[in-house]
Amino acid sequence: MFGTTKRRLAALTLVGAALLSACSSNDGGATSPTTAAAGDTAAAADAAPGKDSTAVGFIFVGPKDDFGYNQAAYEGSQALKETFPDLEIITAENVPETDEAARVMEGMIQKGAKIIFATSYGHLDAAKQVAAAHPDVAVVQQGNTITDAVGPNIGTYFGTVYEPVYLAGIVAGKMTKTNKLGYVYAFPIPQTLANINAFQLGAHSVNPEVETITVNTSNWCDPAKQADAAKSLLNQGVDVLTQHQDCQATVVKAAEAAGQLVVGYHADASSLAPKGWLGGSEWNWGPMYADIVKTTLAGDFTGSKYNANYRAGFASGENPFVQSAFGPTVPQEVQDLVTKAKEGFQADKSVFTGPITGQDGTVVVPAGTTLDAAAVDGMNYFVEGVVGNIPKS
Amino acid sequence: MSLLITEVCAGAIAGGTCILYAAVGESFSESAGVVNLGVEGSMLVGALAGYAVTAEAGNPWAGVIGAAVCGAVLAAVHAWFVLSRRSNQLATGLVVMFLGLGLTSLFGAAYVARTVESFSAWDVPGLSSIPFVGPVLFRHDPLTYLSYALVPAAWWVLYRSRWGLLIRGAGERRHVLETYGHPALGVQYGSVILGGALAGIGGAQLSTAYANAWFENTSQGRGFIGAAVVIFAARQPFKVAAGAYLFGAALALSPALQARNVSIPILDNQFALASIPYVAILVVLVVLGRKRAAEAPEGLKAVFG
Amino acid sequence: MTTIAIAPTRVDVRPAVLAVLRWIVAIAGALVIFGVLMWTKGANPLTAYSSMFETLTRDTALSGIVIKATPLILAALAVAVPARAGLVNVGGEGQLVMGGVAAARVARLFGPGAPGGLVLVGMAVGAALVGAGWAAVGGLLRVRVGISEAVTTLLLNYIALNVMFFLIYDPWKDLAGGGQPTSPAIPVAQRLPLIGSGSMAVHAGILVALIATAAMWWVLRSTRWGFKLEVVGGNAEAARRAGFAVGLLLIGAMAVGGALAGLGGFAQLAGTEFKLRPGFLVTYGYIAFLASWLARHKPVRVAVAAVVLAAISVSGDSLQLDSRLPAATVNVLMALVLLAVFGWTSRRSEA
Repeated sequence: MFGTTKRRLAALTLVGAALLSACSSNDGGATSPTTAAAGDTAAAADAAPGKDSTAVGFIFVGPKDDFGYNQAAYEGSQALKETFPDLEIITAENVPETDEAARVMEGMIQKGAKIIFATSYGHLDAAKQVAAAHPDVAVVQQGNTITDAVGPNIGTYFGTVYEPVYLAGIVAGKMTKTNKLGYVYAFPIPQTLANINAFQLGAHSVNPEVETITVNTSNWCDPAKQADAAKSLLNQGVDVLTQHQDCQATVVKAAEAAGQLVVGYHADASSLAPKGWLGGSEWNWGPMYADIVKTTLAGDFTGSKYNANYRAGFASGENPFVQSAFGPTVPQEVQDLVTKAKEGFQADKSVFTGPITGQDGTVVVPAGTTLDAAAVDGMNYFVEGVVGNIPKS
Repeated sequence: MSLLITEVCAGAIAGGTCILYAAVGESFSESAGVVNLGVEGSMLVGALAGYAVTAEAGNPWAGVIGAAVCGAVLAAVHAWFVLSRRSNQLATGLVVMFLGLGLTSLFGAAYVARTVESFSAWDVPGLSSIPFVGPVLFRHDPLTYLSYALVPAAWWVLYRSRWGLLIRGAGERRHVLETYGHPALGVQYGSVILGGALAGIGGAQLSTAYANAWFENTSQGRGFIGAAVVIFAARQPFKVAAGAYLFGAALALSPALQARNVSIPILDNQFALASIPYVAILVVLVVLGRKRAAEAPEGLKAVFG
Repeated sequence: MTTIAIAPTRVDVRPAVLAVLRWIVAIAGALVIFGVLMWTKGANPLTAYSSMFETLTRDTALSGIVIKATPLILAALAVAVPARAGLVNVGGEGQLVMGGVAAARVARLFGPGAPGGLVLVGMAVGAALVGAGWAAVGGLLRVRVGISEAVTTLLLNYIALNVMFFLIYDPWKDLAGGGQPTSPAIPVAQRLPLIGSGSMAVHAGILVALIATAAMWWVLRSTRWGFKLEVVGGNAEAARRAGFAVGLLLIGAMAVGGALAGLGGFAQLAGTEFKLRPGFLVTYGYIAFLASWLARHKPVRVAVAAVVLAAISVSGDSLQLDSRLPAATVNVLMALVLLAVFGWTSRRSEA
């Protein structure tokens, strides 16, 4: 009976396919199911995207109180209320990085939002769909890169997050006694790899003996797995821990409980590790969000720096990813080293200027070359001194 | 190598204990004929209650009590629907899980960034310095030590005491029990609620002793794994413990290998490593699990067909 | 007494009316409890409900419900068919994912230049076969080794997810995607076409789901195979004595279920996602499981239940956007409604 059922199913599919041949094509852009133009597109096509919007929409991939990435973005959205008291701020958390994100953004547009912030890396495809369906809405995406042509009402923005991570690496490289740093991460996405590499490069710049041992957890927030990861790293003699996960409390507390040092990420977690806290990097999205909204409300989005892949860094003076305060044990001379490196970035130096050697000894960035934002966003290797395994492609 | 084994074995205890609590609890529930997939929910509720009460009261033991109470309350919801309203056990359990997930996300937000005075590891004097055995068994938090006592106690209650006779009777021969004037329904309620309380303590172990953090959906399916372990261990506490520790060991293997930069063919991939715990349980089930279904109590046969 | 006045004939309609009343009271009770909960979180329950309702009547919400219901219906049927034989398939989640993986694989095999219709049929067949195989493992282990398929299918969900992660982070990664962990998008010509127009457009996967529903209704009701499943589900021992190949029937039921869920993965990939990504159909399998139990595994009712759950889930948008409640609130609403239905509408005669 198994065979007949199979044949029947196959037959059904054939019938289905025949039925469908008469239907319209599904190009995933303007006519995608969830982003079908709601009739307002033609009328507004000539207006500047997002001009005079009364509301701004924000979607977050995780809970808005994760004490991490999403909370930082949420706080940035709430900071807009001070600059623009009349603007309605609509937020949605736990929005998956699938077609569902497009539906949620549609809902925001129906509530009057003509400026949408899609704040997770994986929201880009949905953001593109929504932008294509609504020429009058300005859609900005946080952290990813548009590799094809950028439409007039969409763009991406981010900070050069790896710059403060590099600075934290300097502190870690100076403070470690075992020359072993530990990095707990979730998945090998380019942003994470760039952070890990920057951390190692920063540490290596002041300590040629240092190495960064990585452990992945295959989960953006599974605290128990982080506890295991921290324990394994500490057992290997790692004395400075850091992480790139959505939630950081477990790793920070594990380092503190073991009497070791910790570098933060996402938010200032010094209260969780009063002794071991070295500093770190944290988000401050408020100013950049406000500038994006200001530009867009004025009707100047198209052609602005936000209508592209905009990356703010120390050089432009507005990096949304800032240094956390140093911990009590970081001596002045180390802080001075950090300040010096930071001044270098402000003077247009880059973390990823060659020569940089990869993990396997081959040159990944030749001497005299500096990686541009797109190259950093496509990073798929570890640099020399990082211990760990990542997929080849 | 021997250090790797020590680390993985210690990790088995550390990572398996929260599952062990949930699974031992579920053993009571299933022995009384009630499958409760809501253990995942009870665990989450316990994790939040444990963390929140510890934060407010400043004492992790108060958190444990809060966790047990909240885990039990959620299990009571399951028990009432299943036992008094005769709704389907598996489906109701899954709904109770969603209820726990929703409620803890709703009320847990305020505690994500809170620090608490949680349990800390306490090395047992003397015992903790025994080679291998010391680091594996005697360098943990108090709730882990408590679980060492829980397993034999649960075994004794279930298989050597009059209580166990009643519980298993309620699961297997309800009508006989009732004929002799024992309140089978009450026994079943008690077993399910006890199961929820233990799952709640498991959650508290996770949030206040092991991971030291509360986060939305922090248990990440460990309650489900607990329920699966009970089925493969045929509700026998020592086997349940073995199953929970096996899962914990498999979880600990991945970071232990990575931190040593050891790469094993096939397993040199992140996602192969992440699959090990599930594959391990599956393999053990296949090797040891012959004809488990035949041993299930009557009440469970109705659930699993 | 009022029921008698309503009744046009002498047929006693009281049981039916009582049943309806029980449903109404149960769901109203759930909504009241949820209302109180919303109120404690600072939202006005009345406004919240009215904006939820208003959200649900929008064109985009309607198409959103249909699109969400498509894989849910198929995955719920994947629970319903094995359930007829007394099997518990908790593996819809993994079977959906493997269906999507298989469909993506077939699209890669054909390449971007191949004709759309052919590729779509190939994707559907591949997804159904792989879904069937993935689910059959649970059936096989049940029959040969005696392990509960509820446990094995649950464990296989996690493994399926890691299989997909492995593929999209490495061998199948879209190298033109700026490092994103996704497979390359299926070309436009090879996607499921749209039916309807404008904001009401939905992809044709819903037809697959509806045809599958009708087919399963017919198979379970009118075919010998359906009858045998029913007998096995009722009393496996009696079925064995009657000479049925019980083992094969059980494995077959799981395989058919898996094939349906596989089609759900195919419909999602070829209809709306076009790429495999980390969040592909996450939690759909569990919600589908509930839909099937909610409807007591009767195919047509299962499909209706799946649509209702899709609607609740879509209405969760409004809880966030209009009432400013956390995202997880909708889980509580869904749980309360389901508990109400499970608890107050069960057949008390079974007690």
